[in-house]
Order: sequence, then structure tokens, then C-alpha cells
Amino acid sequence: MRHFRLQIADGRWSAFCLLAFGLCLLTSSLSALPLYRDSLPNGLIVVTYEDHRLPTASLSLVCRSGSACDPEGKAGTAALTAYLLARGTPTVSGDSITSLVEFLGASFGGSASGDFINLGTQVLSKDVPTALDLLAGAVLNPAFSPKEVELARSQFLSDAQRRKDIPQAQVSLEFAKLVYQGLPYGNPTNGDTVSIPLIKREDLLTFHGTYVKPNNCFIVAVGDVQHADLVAAITQRLGSWASAPVPRPSPLAPAFPDGIKVKLITRPDMNQTYVEFGHPGITATDADMFSTRLMSYILGGAAMSSRLGITVREKGGLAYDVRCWFDRNTLPGAYHATVQTAKPKEAIEKMLRVIQVMHDSGATRAELEKAHNYYTGSFPLTYSSSGGKQYQVLSMELFHYGMDWLDKFPDRIRAVTLDQVNAAAREHISPGKYWMVILGPVTKEDLGLTGVQWIE
Amino acid sequence: MNLLLSLLLLSQPNEPLAARVTEFTLKNGLAVIVYVDSAAPVVSTNVYYKVGSYDEPLGHTGLSHMLEHLTFKHTDIYKPGDFDRIVDSAGGNNNGFTSESFTGYYEDFAKDRYELALKIEASRMGKCVFPDSEFESEHQVVSEERRLHDNYPATELWEEYGATACLVHPSRNPVIGWSDDVFHFTVQAARDWYHEHYNPANAVLVVAGDVRPADVKVKAEKYFGGLKGAPVTRADYYAVEPEQHGERRITIRKRVRVPSLIIGFHSPGTRDTAEFFAAEVAGSIAGSGQSSRLYKKLVTELQLATSVWGGNSVDRDPGLFQIGITPKAESLIPRIEQVVQAELDRLGTELVSDRELQQVRNQVLAGQFFQRDDISDMAYLLARCKILYGDWRAIEFYPSGIQLVTATQVRDFCHKYLKPDNRTTGILVSAKEGR
Repeated sequence: MRHFRLQIADGRWSAFCLLAFGLCLLTSSLSALPLYRDSLPNGLIVVTYEDHRLPTASLSLVCRSGSACDPEGKAGTAALTAYLLARGTPTVSGDSITSLVEFLGASFGGSASGDFINLGTQVLSKDVPTALDLLAGAVLNPAFSPKEVELARSQFLSDAQRRKDIPQAQVSLEFAKLVYQGLPYGNPTNGDTVSIPLIKREDLLTFHGTYVKPNNCFIVAVGDVQHADLVAAITQRLGSWASAPVPRPSPLAPAFPDGIKVKLITRPDMNQTYVEFGHPGITATDADMFSTRLMSYILGGAAMSSRLGITVREKGGLAYDVRCWFDRNTLPGAYHATVQTAKPKEAIEKMLRVIQVMHDSGATRAELEKAHNYYTGSFPLTYSSSGGKQYQVLSMELFHYGMDWLDKFPDRIRAVTLDQVNAAAREHISPGKYWMVILGPVTKEDLGLTGVQWIE
Repeated sequence: MNLLLSLLLLSQPNEPLAARVTEFTLKNGLAVIVYVDSAAPVVSTNVYYKVGSYDEPLGHTGLSHMLEHLTFKHTDIYKPGDFDRIVDSAGGNNNGFTSESFTGYYEDFAKDRYELALKIEASRMGKCVFPDSEFESEHQVVSEERRLHDNYPATELWEEYGATACLVHPSRNPVIGWSDDVFHFTVQAARDWYHEHYNPANAVLVVAGDVRPADVKVKAEKYFGGLKGAPVTRADYYAVEPEQHGERRITIRKRVRVPSLIIGFHSPGTRDTAEFFAAEVAGSIAGSGQSSRLYKKLVTELQLATSVWGGNSVDRDPGLFQIGITPKAESLIPRIEQVVQAELDRLGTELVSDRELQQVRNQVLAGQFFQRDDISDMAYLLARCKILYGDWRAIEFYPSGIQLVTATQVRDFCHKYLKPDNRTTGILVSAKEGR
């Protein structure tokens, strides 16, 4: 196996490395897995999951500020910033970077979610120094060249228009607006046709200058790298990156509606109706996180074997896909239930009934046992590939789950009792208090839903 | 050392794939491939049947996909709901999928329970039953899945584009089937399709992950050995498209805000080795990534489009070399078509640069490592190569072939195939804007 090894060029570099290693004495590996974590003096955290099977590595530089930090009316700022961080420095153009990356058979790009922006790269391990150079250049010295900004804005605008052509995307965007009622998660991560034209280069510079600080960032590395070597190389490139206080988005929780409030978008040109409903949910670090996850799995976690799946799909033949889930975010997210069907009235009524029963009567012991087995048994599958490891370690660091997260997850799942699952159903599902979006070839009269309030 | 050997060695990851692969065949004809990767204590068990949408008769498009759904329902030992309940209870993931050339099923489990996957798949292979009552509800589910496709405008463009470009080859039919066929499936047709195609001699079992080949052999014999094999004769060529003598065009007007454009040309299949690999390299240089010629021209330089992709189809039979474009506006489409053809003409008259060739080689070599990362991906590739080319080693054939492509071959391919008379153009525009 070829491992990434630090290229020591001269004596000064050696001395620097020794210093860097000295700073890394607190390297923590509280996991039984080859998982290591260090913090640089400027607050930048490096987490490495070593995996030397193949001469490849993936690295993500994650900034803990995402679209939830977008300026008001300028949804998409974080996403555009992330994209453009990878599109050049004052001395290396975006096209030159693309040319280099694609010549190496690698990838490099930036994206955003509600909670973070992510600069990710996947390379052969021999090219890790190049990948680190790209990441360092992106966060320390991004150009945001006017030409690149304009090009990216036109691409984001085109994507935003295209999302309006996709029924599921449109329903999800409308649902987010309703459930978050102006709070940050309600904004489309990549912006919309109104917000994108309003975003100026200065907004991107401000976002970068405000949030992309070492004490607000961490690096996740997975693959054929040695953690100590990597920390030294990162210290060499990003050790002088200055930390600064970073503002946090509003922690306000969205409010529940006082009934079932329905927004209907009639589309006679379609032959199927798309439905999404739900209400405010919990955070990814909520004390009831595990019990809620198990309850939601039993209720609608799998299209075929959950209660919703059995009732709506397997027995009802009403839909190809039906499911429900709780968002996992740093701030309170939402609880969602979705279906796409030619018989919306029947499907919605069945879903409401199934969810009500879960709320009122809870799960059975057999269902919990199955859920325990599913989560504990399938958990190793979630991080058997590099992509899976990257996702799990990123989540672990983002939500401060601790270095023993992967080791302890099965035990924590197994420890959840039936009483806790049923309490989660009672406390975190609120039947009768839903925001609902319906898009399809139907009218209010077709749907015949009773006891709902229509949003005009 | 000769050039070919050098290139073959260059194209090998640091450990030969053969060191990890064991292959054997049961007496009933079931081909078994074991791929050992002990990095994680998990095993992916896959069964692929040599039947897909290419095999379906007229009026029955989508039948393989319908059958895939039905085989999750009821066997001699499993009742409706059991498959998913049992797999979930054992902490596994499972699913099935249908493609043009095969239908696949998999279960991923912790390594100590992969035998359960073999038991499930053996039951699915030989013992499915299809009661009328269960057929109807699943038929409705599949009809809903078909409607999902109908409501995505880009899908309609792709389906109708394929049917325009190909006159006789079954690639003109969508894998999920045309709506009218899907809505009129019968349970008897599904039963017949199952009995015709689901047997050991028409299947490949791939077990990938933390397993011992000897153990797999014993267990495969235990579960599948008692099933009767009945080889299925499959067309070598499905159909040969008549030579095209002029451009074909299709315009779809729907409720869309963003237009789409597809420009494609009939291109060689993998049997035509030299031209196929040249087509692959040409596709990459023309339209793969932001450093491709068409992306740089249309998006970066002229700013006529917001995205471009391109590439050649990988299939035994001749397929299509396609470029997909998101124009900035419908009015720009004629200009974009001109630019694309001019760039393709240039590829057909001038030699590509050494750096462009080397970039494609580098991408393929790196891609070999990336694809080995996931045992499920490896299982898919091994099965695909076994079914399409008769040998899993075809995985290594691809990167080796790419390394040998010359600039002259790329130019000659482009000159021969990427010409207007061999072109099919598909356009999706707004129903309002276009009238």
C-alpha cells in the first residue's frame, strides 16, 4: 500500500514539523477504530479515519455555518460561497484548478447544507499534498472573481428554475417555507429565482470573512493517510490562519400550526399528486434522539416494511414510495411525511390514521425488537465504504457526538426501551397540527379533506 | 517489455483483482463469483438474472421490472412482507433493480449472517408464486412508479429521445416500460416471464466482502444446488439499427422553465473494440467535466449554457454517443447546436492533445481505485461483466483498452460517427414559450 507521506523539503520544514507534532500530543483516539482527532492552536480540528486498503483519500473541510446563516432575502449565499471557494485564488484561476483536478482523476468542489458548507476532495493518496494546497488556497485566499461570480450565479439561477419543474422539489420547498415560517432552515439552500439575483460579490466576501474561520471549521480525512503526517501538513498550510469570533444563527424553534393547514397547488397537467406534511421536530442532539429515530423507523422509515409502507404501499397499492422522518440538524428541524399517488384522498387519510395510532398507542415490543436489530445490525454497513465513513465522521464532529460515537451507537440504540419509544411518539408527533402541501391534478373538492384549513 | 504489457501493468491497481476473486460454477449452471474484501465485517450477496428490458417482446415493455417487484412477495417459505421484515430484523439492507440487460437483487449483512441472504435468494430463484390477489396491489404500485416518471419533464425527453434515435433496437424502450404496457400487465405474463428466466443456469451469484470462498462454495451448493437449471438462449445481437441517412429531431413542449437539449449519434458497442474505446475517450474529452471542450466552450467562454455533460454508452450492441446541455434560453438552442457540431467536427479533423489523452487515462486509472472502495459496487461490476461479456475480467479490459487509444483513433472515430446525418437532436422547451 502506498501511504500519503509528508514531503520534507528542508531543515526549516523539519523543525516546523517537530513543532507541529508537539502540538499534537493530545491526539485522541477514544475509538476502537483507527479514528484520530486533533485540534490546532487556532481551533481547527482534524479528524482522520485511517483506511489503507486502497491508495485513495477523501478530505472535507467543513465550516459550521451553512444556509441557516444566509443574510435575509439572500438565500443561497452560503451555497454560492462554498461553490466559489473552489473556483480560484488571485493567482490560480478556477479553470486552472479544474484542469489540474480533472487531470489527476480527482474531484474538488464546494457545497452547502443548512448547517455547514463543505469543501470536499477525493484524490489518489499520492496527491494528498495537492488536495491540501487546494483546500488551503480556498479558505485562505479565495478570489471570488467577478467573472466566476457571474457564471456561478447564472448556473444557480438555472438550477433554481429547474427545481420548479420537478414536483417533489417544489413540494419540499413549499413545505419548508410553511413549517419554518421565516426561520433560516425555511430558505432553499441553493437559493431561489428571487434571492439569487440579489446576491452580490460583497455578500460572498462577507460570508467568507465572517464564518470561514479555523475555530469554526474542521477537516475530515478518510483513507490512505497517516493522521500525524496529515496534521503536520495541515499545520504547515493552515497553522497561521487567524481565528475570530463567529456569530451563530437564531436558535428559535418553529411554531406548530393550530390545526391542519393545507396549501394546494393545482396542476392539471400531472397524473399524480405529491403530498408532504409535518410539523416542527427536534435537533440532532435532542435527548430523545435515539427513541425518536426508532419510533420514526417503525412508523415510516422504510417504504415497504414500516407501518406506513405496509398500509399505503403493500396493502393499499396506493404509492410507490411513502415514508416519514425527522430532520437531523443542529437547530430544531422538521418532521416530514411524504407520498406520491394517483389517489391522494385515500392515501392521506390512511397516513393520518396510521400516524394517529402510533401517537395514541405506540409501538409493539416486536416492532421495537425489529428496529433494534435493524439499527444495530446495519450500522456497520453505513461506514464500510469511504463515503460512508466520511458521512459518519462528519456527522460525529458536526453534532459533537464524541469520538466513541461509532463504537457506542449500537449500545445506545439497544438501550432504548419501549416506554421511551412510545413517549417519543406522544411527545414528538402532534396529529392534527400539520402543515401540508399538495401538488397535483386535484381540487379541494376532489380531495374532500375534512377538518382542514386551506391556505390561500 | 513491450508497450502492451507495460500499459497493462500500469493499469493494474496495486493488487491484482484476480487475487481477490474466486469463480466456480454449480452443476445446475449457476455461476458463482466470490470477491474477498475483509476491511469491514460485512458481506454483500447479489443474484443477477440475465433478463432485462432488452429481452421484452413488443407490448410487454417493463415486464422484467414488474416481475422484479413481484419476486419480493411470495415464495414457498416466505409470505408477503417477510422478505423485508426478515432482512430488517437481521440488520440488513436489501433491494432489487432492473436494467436493460439484467435484473439484480442484493442483501447486505454483517458477515455472520450472509447465509440468510443465500436462503432468501435461493427461494426467490426457484420458488416464487404469484397469487392473483397479490399481483393486483403490486401492479398498482408499479403503475404509481410509472406515473412518477411521467411527471418529470426531463424523463419524457429522454424516453422519447431514445425512441427517436433507435428505430428497432430495444434500447428505444424505457426499462420501466411504456405506460400503456405497464397499465395492462397480466399476472399470467409475469408468471411466464418468471418461469422462462429465473433459474440457476440463467443467473450469476456474486458474494462480496469478508467471506472465505470455500465457505461460500459449501453454502451456495446447500441452497442453490437443488434447483434445476435450464439454460436460456439469448440473442447475441438484439437488433441492428438501419444506417441513418439524415438528422432526426424531436421537440417536446411541456410546462418547464428551463430548456434541455440532447445531441446524440449512433456509436459502436464494445464488440467493435478499437472504435468503442476511441468513442469513450472522445466522449470524455468532448463532454466530461468542467475542463471538457464543450463545457469550456458553451458554459465558460460563450456562456450559452449553464451545464454540459457528455459520453458514450457502454453496451455490447451499438449505442449512442450523447451530449446533454442546459441552454440558458430556448432562443439560444440553434446557436448551441452549431457550436457543438463545430467542436465535434474539429475533433474529427484535428488530433487531440497528449494532455487530453493522458487526462482520460488518469481518470480511468484513479476510477479503478475509487470503484473498489465499495463491495456493493464491485459486486455490481463483476456481475455486469460476467453477464455482458462472459467474464468478470472485463473489468480490467476497460482501463487497459483506454490506455491504448491514440489521438488518430479518436479523430477517426469522430470523423466517421459524429456527423450530422448520424445525429438525433432532442429538445425540451416550455409549452408557452414555444407557441
